[in-house]
Amino acid sequence: MKQRALLAGAVAAIAATALLAGGVLRTTDGEASKIPTNQLVRVGFEEQAAARRTGEPSHYPRSERALRQALDQDSDDVRALIGLASLANTRHHFREGLAFARQAQRVSPDTALVYGVMGDALLELGRFDAGFRAYDRMAALRPSIAAYGRIAQAQSMLGQTSAARGSLSLALDAAVKGETRAWAFVELGRLERTKLRLGAAASRFRTALAASPDNPVALDALAETEAARGNLRRAIALQSRAVKLRFSPELAASLGDLHTVAGNRAAAQRAYAKVEDQERRLAANGVDTDLDRAMFNLEHGIDLEGSLVRARRGYAARPGTEANEVLSWALIRNGRCKEAIPYSNRALRFADGHRYFHRGMIERCLGREGAAQRLFRKALAFDPNFSPIWARFARAQLR
Amino acid sequence: MRKSMLAIIAISIAAVAAVLVVRGPSPEAGTASSHREAPLISEDPTADNTDLYAFRAPDAPNDLTIIGNWIPAEDPAAGPMYYRFSQSARYNIYIDRNGDARPDVTFRFRFRNRAGRFFLANTVQDYTVTRTIGRRSTVVARGVTPPNNIGPRTTPNYRSLAQAAVRPLAGGGKVFAGQREDAFFADIGAIFDLVAIRRGVGNAGGGKDFFAGYGVHAIALQIPISQLDDSDHVVGVWAATDRQRLTVRKVGKGKKRRTVVRNSWVQVSRLGNPLVNELIIPTNLKDKWNRSTPRQDSQFVRFHREPILAAVINQLYGLNVPEKNRDDLVSVLLTGVPSLNFTGRTLADMLRINLSIPPSGSPNRLGVFGGDTGGYPNGRRLTDDVIDIAERAVAGKLKGHPAGDLLGDGVNENDVPNLTSFPYENDPPSGFDNTKGQQKP
Repeated sequence: MKQRALLAGAVAAIAATALLAGGVLRTTDGEASKIPTNQLVRVGFEEQAAARRTGEPSHYPRSERALRQALDQDSDDVRALIGLASLANTRHHFREGLAFARQAQRVSPDTALVYGVMGDALLELGRFDAGFRAYDRMAALRPSIAAYGRIAQAQSMLGQTSAARGSLSLALDAAVKGETRAWAFVELGRLERTKLRLGAAASRFRTALAASPDNPVALDALAETEAARGNLRRAIALQSRAVKLRFSPELAASLGDLHTVAGNRAAAQRAYAKVEDQERRLAANGVDTDLDRAMFNLEHGIDLEGSLVRARRGYAARPGTEANEVLSWALIRNGRCKEAIPYSNRALRFADGHRYFHRGMIERCLGREGAAQRLFRKALAFDPNFSPIWARFARAQLR
Repeated sequence: MRKSMLAIIAISIAAVAAVLVVRGPSPEAGTASSHREAPLISEDPTADNTDLYAFRAPDAPNDLTIIGNWIPAEDPAAGPMYYRFSQSARYNIYIDRNGDARPDVTFRFRFRNRAGRFFLANTVQDYTVTRTIGRRSTVVARGVTPPNNIGPRTTPNYRSLAQAAVRPLAGGGKVFAGQREDAFFADIGAIFDLVAIRRGVGNAGGGKDFFAGYGVHAIALQIPISQLDDSDHVVGVWAATDRQRLTVRKVGKGKKRRTVVRNSWVQVSRLGNPLVNELIIPTNLKDKWNRSTPRQDSQFVRFHREPILAAVINQLYGLNVPEKNRDDLVSVLLTGVPSLNFTGRTLADMLRINLSIPPSGSPNRLGVFGGDTGGYPNGRRLTDDVIDIAERAVAGKLKGHPAGDLLGDGVNENDVPNLTSFPYENDPPSGFDNTKGQQKP
């Protein structure tokens, strides 16, 4: 019964709010009216869209307030539940995200997007098969750009590059807005980048920028590729622009690294200070930043012990690939190499240059230099530029 | 008096607000720009059926004209124009001749992009029309869409470009596919700002057409009635879009293992009667309803029989609109109206048209409610005011309820005239002529 009130209730309520807000109309029973659920849901989603556009984290609590109030008014509102699941995921509270997604599934088992946010959470919790099944269900209930994008992401994780390219082509074909097309082009470019086809990758990223000028995500991706091609100055210019346009510690950290490589110590420090500042603001707005801060500190040799504490906490909260990677790296950096092995193994289920390199560091630490050499080579073969800082280090270790 | 007038305004806006929820400018933008996060909102404008029309045109009375619109609120000035039919989707027009809610004649459209710059999309598309009758499929037309209307330098003489794109159908009739002016009209802007509720809104006109200045992509067909008519003269029409299903998990073995499941289609959008998806079907069931066929519509009948909008209107405004046992709505939307366009006991959301009723000499925007059986719910013409008709129907017009004569959104006709000949919807507004934000010199 409550479910049935959803749309129409929302509909009439929008009108009522307009009138009530202006003091024109009183409801028949004279009660002061609450803000209509539909409007709250809308605000909740718009705040998240704004956060996705700008990166600015103060949108998160605003979205949460609106969606929670919507849910208070109608505990079966599937849109509010999906919104809260997605918000929890965005803030890296994946168990909470999964719980909201399951609640949404109970209310509305036939709504495709439920399985999108569910799969997002499952993958971060390391439950890959269940996550892929959720994505499949989403695409079976309603193929859409959002479903194609997620399927592509899963295929790319599994190393099925050409299948991922096909999925993204479908997403691209369905997209009409410049921003959406830019997103698809960036993802297509990332596939090329993984395959070390740097020219093709850069060309996709530039196409993304043509579709959505100054798109920070595309600027960031292009900057990374330009750096990999040795165009450091161009990379710094692009990344500076991205950092200016979008709140993101990830982007700022990359800028700092580019400056470090270029030998601009002062500029690098400014960028790293921005990372710290932004991480604090993310945490203040309810984002779990443990893994990200641990990773940043480990990469830059800051507070190694504290990073291990953070990495353990992050792992407990979301034991996915990223957590395995960060925790194994934290253990290595603290000299506890044997303990790092199981985490490293799990991270290597979805291999990349970083993860091979970390494994090489474990082997070296355990005195198996031959194995370490092989893994350093493997990391560099996977991607000669897997990290602006550590790829150079790895290369210097080769005999 | 004052209170009831306000209630009428509120209800008008309420109905229109519903349309906004689904049909406003697409929120697709801004959802996909995040750093690696997959798009959140599942809007899919290129698959989204916005309107469906079926009528006998005065200039072609021996044909059934069907127009389906897709892609809501195409902004002509939105920079590079990516509005195109999706070449990975199937666009379908279904016709049921015998009232069993199964398609007897299907026209399926597939589009193909032309090569162009990777990002500056060439909007001209080639297309193929396949007609399926029973198990027999025939290609009945191959056509080309006109380009989108950019402006007089890029696309001069747009009217003749569009006319040149009209193609004959093998065996009789004609077809057009491409960008058109959105013939739909309704006042949506008023809901955002109380101050903007326009004086005299209701049944007295004075509203503002939110859809003015926006385009859509249309598929128009004109089919000889002789190919469709039978003894009861009533056919049911609906439109739908299918997308390809993908899966992460591989299927098959050895060399046949693959990830993309081709030839597996899922219907993602459909449209028979106007506003059903928006006003009748609850949010939780929208994906399911859009995936279902009219043949399966009996599972949704309770939402027609007890439209939640009626209950809410009463709760808020005390108009005493009938809330239950709305067999009047069930008959209009799911079976057809006896002695007008009844198709039998099968409950199915189809746009029903009695092919024996000639086009009206003096069309009334309220269709059958206005005493004009040539219009909605007997088919639907471009000029039929379905917002006002829907509001009055929910308010109980067919049950003789007084609110059934008063309601409306104050927008009674399209902002530009429709064409008097095929494809009837006018040329799309061009980016060059876009008037939004026009400044005085």
